[in-house]
Amino acid sequence: MHAAHKNHDFEPKIAAFVCTWCTYAGADLAGTSRMQYPPNVRVLKFPCTGRIDPVFILRAFQKGADGVLVSGCHPGDCHYMAGNFHARRRFAAFRQLLDFVGVDLNRLQFSWVSAAEGGKWVEVVTGLTERVRSMGPMREFKELELEEQWSGKVDTPELQEAYEAIS
Amino acid sequence: MIDLAKKIEAPATIDITAYAGATEAIRAEAAKLLTEGAVAAVIGYIPGRRNGTAIPAIVTSPEKAQELIFSPACVNNLALYLTRAKKEVKGKGRLAVVAKGCDMRALAGLMGESQLKREDVVIIGVACAGVYGSGADRDAPLAEKNIARKCRECRVHAPEGADVVAGSLPPLPEFSPVEAEELARLEAMTPAARWAFWKEHFSRCIRCMACRSLCPFCYCEQCICDRNRPQAVEATPRPAGNMAWHIVRAMHLAGRCAGCAECERACPMDIPLNLLNRKMARELKELYGHEAGLEPKEKGPLNEYREDDDQSFIK
Amino acid sequence: MQKTITEQNLRALIDLLVKKGTRVVGPRRAGSITLYEPLASGGELILGELPRRSAKEAFFPLCENILSFEKTTEGVKVADVDPSQFPETVIVGARPCDAAAPGILDAVFSWDYKDKFYLERRRKTTIIGLACTSCDDACFCTSVGLSPADPRGSDLFLTPLEGGGYACEAVTEKGEKLLAEFPQLFTDAEAAKALPQAEPAGEKLDLARIKSWLDGNFENPLWAEISERCAGCGACAFVCPACHCFDIVDEGGETKGCRRKSWDACGFGKFTNHASGHNPRDAQPKRYRNRIMHKFKYYDDKFGKTLCTGCGRCIRACPVGIDIAAVLEEISKK
Repeated sequence: MHAAHKNHDFEPKIAAFVCTWCTYAGADLAGTSRMQYPPNVRVLKFPCTGRIDPVFILRAFQKGADGVLVSGCHPGDCHYMAGNFHARRRFAAFRQLLDFVGVDLNRLQFSWVSAAEGGKWVEVVTGLTERVRSMGPMREFKELELEEQWSGKVDTPELQEAYEAIS
Repeated sequence: MIDLAKKIEAPATIDITAYAGATEAIRAEAAKLLTEGAVAAVIGYIPGRRNGTAIPAIVTSPEKAQELIFSPACVNNLALYLTRAKKEVKGKGRLAVVAKGCDMRALAGLMGESQLKREDVVIIGVACAGVYGSGADRDAPLAEKNIARKCRECRVHAPEGADVVAGSLPPLPEFSPVEAEELARLEAMTPAARWAFWKEHFSRCIRCMACRSLCPFCYCEQCICDRNRPQAVEATPRPAGNMAWHIVRAMHLAGRCAGCAECERACPMDIPLNLLNRKMARELKELYGHEAGLEPKEKGPLNEYREDDDQSFIK
Repeated sequence: MQKTITEQNLRALIDLLVKKGTRVVGPRRAGSITLYEPLASGGELILGELPRRSAKEAFFPLCENILSFEKTTEGVKVADVDPSQFPETVIVGARPCDAAAPGILDAVFSWDYKDKFYLERRRKTTIIGLACTSCDDACFCTSVGLSPADPRGSDLFLTPLEGGGYACEAVTEKGEKLLAEFPQLFTDAEAAKALPQAEPAGEKLDLARIKSWLDGNFENPLWAEISERCAGCGACAFVCPACHCFDIVDEGGETKGCRRKSWDACGFGKFTNHASGHNPRDAQPKRYRNRIMHKFKYYDDKFGKTLCTGCGRCIRACPVGIDIAAVLEEISKK
């Protein structure tokens, strides 16, 4: 994995919100099977995709993620019977909202990855990482984070430095 | 001849003399309900001090009921006062409320969400041809220039399901749907252009929370945006937190917002908030055939599911 | 000697100040509304409109950082914001209701604790006031003892003249300094007549009488009557030139963040919520009562001033039509 790792100018940060029963186990399988996938992904484990609030996705982007992955059990496989069905509707709506405010949906991916699909996990993570890498950093939220109302603005050198550090 | 016929069909201004009939009917019904003791209070509109304004009033006596009016200045959605956010009003007892067609949709939504029982409220519906937009010229007759944006595309002029209906509808002009056009214009933009559009608008937000306070569906006792352990949305009026707040607001209203546009009207910074609501309402209609506020429904589109829901976006 | 300035030269003055590195704040188009914002050039100045928000934010920003903190291997590093970095500012075209506000607020910001953020911005700001020649039915500055031509609080005060241009009155040393710095832009007056000033409709209120009623009527059915309809938003406080309540919050991540000061409003239910869960102002009428009491009694008790300049912004902004001028009139008749 490390030997084959190529040096890139930009290493995207990918936040992956996964359910513990399927995708987390799938990612685990990928690891124990010694499959290789980009180390850009940070996995956050939840009991169920139904527990993943759209606010988490928003927060991830705000706090510096360049891409977000949400993944859980295939329909019908939910440990809690219907958590992923509810999640599916919620995310269908939320992605439309993000698109409407101007977030490029190529940075946001939803997947079903079962506990047996270590290979699919690798595929999904690699695909998203490379796609986001080619898109470059998610500047929008990071720039917004540094902006102040005009009246509270103090143009300190530190702030300028932080601003320049975005890309 | 044909042109003339068209003109008669679609007048340029709305004849608001019909509103006087609504005023009479509201006063009579309110006085009757209060005299009989059928309700503890009637929530309606009374004239404001300033020319061409009307303000919400909670009327408890038949005498005071004679001050009630209906006019194009009656912009507020009074369903707000029937929510748990207004405990002082709700605590008075059984209530009657004056409701335009658009307000009726909020009432239906609240009933669906078990916030209100139909038998606990007397609904005095009003046939409404439209109300003033914000910043509108209130001396001129109600027309294209000063009518609220939501009224231009209104499909619920005549309220359905009210206990009584006050007034009658005058002939209605055809207005171009400016809000739908604006929505289409935004959708045709690139994501980057849309981001710039919303960023510019949201940067003006001062977090006065008028959008939340005026929304009949923002009745949560603890808003997620007021929480700080953990903090989901920054409380300070900086561009970052503003953007997050408005995204969260739109998401929490998706499938519930009945389109009264009070958020947009209340905004002192003129942020076109109803565009977000409209967008979400349309998406949920297209995806799940759901339209909010048509009838009390126990479960909204995001509280239920079908096994064959579209999942083409899930890879 | 009376000085005058043409509109063209007023805009040129802004250009010169901007070029010099001064922050010039004035009414400017922001989306569909007008706000006090930094001007990039004199051409951006809007002269005929009262901005939606007051000019107070030039001294008392909507939101500002007061310190930043960072967890390092040596412990937590805290850095104060240094007020000496605040820019020199000139506010152009402040209406009398906005220009008068800082003079009222100085009392509270320099009382027991000297608010260095407010005071430093105040020290570095020059206000060019502008008399009003028009008003609307929400304006009531004359009712609270101000007037559309009141130079109080301005450093340089402009009065529109018939046939264009403005008469300039240097009210303070800061104003005189401005006149002396750009002599080429000002000319000696030819005694042109001033345009008639605006005439807000309301009667002058007896503020002493209102205060004496407030002194004895903390509990009164009037409060519920007026503000049962109040939706509990902060629009009135946020557009007000004199409201000055703020909240202090820490925001950031696990390793670093900022302590921020931002506007707050007594209309919010959470404003007085205690950590225990107890809320002394547990209903909206109690919160609205505080708004009136603070403006017309408490502030007067403490500083001998009324916390209202009659700009009428809260009346225009209130989504449920609560009209402070009507409320005051009602109280004054009691």
